[in-house]
Amino acid sequence: MSNPLKCSVCDAVATVHLTQIVQGKVTKVDFCEACAATGGAGDAAVFKLADAVNALTPAPAITCPDCGFTDVEFRRRGRLGCPSCWKVFGVALGGLLTKVQHETQHVGRAPAGTLPLGQLRHRLLAAQQEMTAAIAAEDYETAAKLRDEVARIAAQLDTL
Amino acid sequence: MSVQEILADENELTHLLGAQQAVVLSTRVRLARNLEGFPFPGWAKPAHRKEIGERCIEALTKLPRFRKSHVFKMGDLPDLDRAVLVERHLVSKELASGKSGAAVISRDQTCAVMVNEEDHLRIQVVKAGWHLRGTWNIAEQLDDAIGASLGLAFSDELGFLTACPTNVGTGLRASAMVHLPGLCLAGHMEKVTRALSQDGLAVRGWLGEGTEAAGNVFQISNQQTLGLSEDAILRHLGGWVKTLVEQEWNARRKLAQEEGERFVDRLARSLGLLRHARLLTSAEAMNMLSHLRLACDMGCLPEGRRHVVDRLMIEGQPAHVQARQGAELDSDGRDSRRATGVREALRDFPEVGPPTA
Repeated sequence: MSNPLKCSVCDAVATVHLTQIVQGKVTKVDFCEACAATGGAGDAAVFKLADAVNALTPAPAITCPDCGFTDVEFRRRGRLGCPSCWKVFGVALGGLLTKVQHETQHVGRAPAGTLPLGQLRHRLLAAQQEMTAAIAAEDYETAAKLRDEVARIAAQLDTL
Repeated sequence: MSVQEILADENELTHLLGAQQAVVLSTRVRLARNLEGFPFPGWAKPAHRKEIGERCIEALTKLPRFRKSHVFKMGDLPDLDRAVLVERHLVSKELASGKSGAAVISRDQTCAVMVNEEDHLRIQVVKAGWHLRGTWNIAEQLDDAIGASLGLAFSDELGFLTACPTNVGTGLRASAMVHLPGLCLAGHMEKVTRALSQDGLAVRGWLGEGTEAAGNVFQISNQQTLGLSEDAILRHLGGWVKTLVEQEWNARRKLAQEEGERFVDRLARSLGLLRHARLLTSAEAMNMLSHLRLACDMGCLPEGRRHVVDRLMIEGQPAHVQARQGAELDSDGRDSRRATGVREALRDFPEVGPPTA
């Protein structure tokens, strides 16, 4: 008979085995009864415990100089540490953004009081994108309006 | 400043006759924003969170929109009060479950900003009925006013920077709370949910993420926040809500026509039960009230009674029932108190008649 599985937390014999599959990524964890009870076996909290255990193993490859957040933390939490993290983890996040957002370029508003140049560029991109969508939907009336808007914004950008 | 005032004050969602509409209960817009130069709340040290909280609350309470606003620090509120705010959708469960968050809520309860939730700021605007543009315009004004007094984290490529990649870009989540008894009774909801999620919209229950759709009420919202303009996001949601409203009416009329007396009987039984029950669970109340709302929409009951039904849906939730009583109640106590409140509110309701709409 094979050796019994050990608890991921305390090395006792594991009697609770959990498998989580998120977007094809399989995570398996084993707990003894006592550790499973503290982690609340059967609910999502157990996996937080599991994540913590898993996060102990790899060494961080990227660290944000502003806030000390690491790629290991990101894998654990799915959230970033501070606005600068977006720059620091930018390349690593590119694939994820395509997966969750389908896009990687912002085309919406900019904060109040920022340079009109930035805002205009955003608006230009948005109008171009909406024009393409309108053409695809064969809504030529809207497309024509958007074409005029694109021309107007482009002209404004030229004068700045 | 107390949660009792929130309960007592008349507001669009619970009191104002005329603001209510068939099918769409409310329209909501929320923007995720963060201050430049500070760690996101989930990674910030308590001292940072405190400083962020103070800065945000100071800036917010200076805005005209938040004159005489309610400021609630989660750490100072009893459990029951926090639960009331969650049931009103004024704060999220996440904010209420932590101690370091706060909420600034406008007098009329239309605007609420959560501070130190997942992001530093979550700006929310809600209006009764379907008013996507009007709701958005208020949110946009608030965003500009907040952006003018607090430096917001923004990049040209990624837009407004948020803690979670699912919110980056516009940080915009626009949603409609829709009441779909017709589509539910006709057994079309699964199909509808599938179609919406394939087209980038999320369908959730009454209390948002991970909740069941009690009373046939669903929340429909956009998923994507990056690579689309705010206008495109709003138009996408708006187009679907319009379609849903049409389909819901088709389903209702078809049911009313095919079922005839049985359709009216179902609604009349719900009124009878609500009027006489001595114990009502919250799920039971929601499902029966859903029938009454349908009756008001269809002309089986006067349309002018719809706001009473909407108010009971909100006030029948567990924390609301207990807050009204001014004490924590056990399950039977809540069911009894809820039934009393419903009986009193429905006492002078007329009989359910045949549909006219």
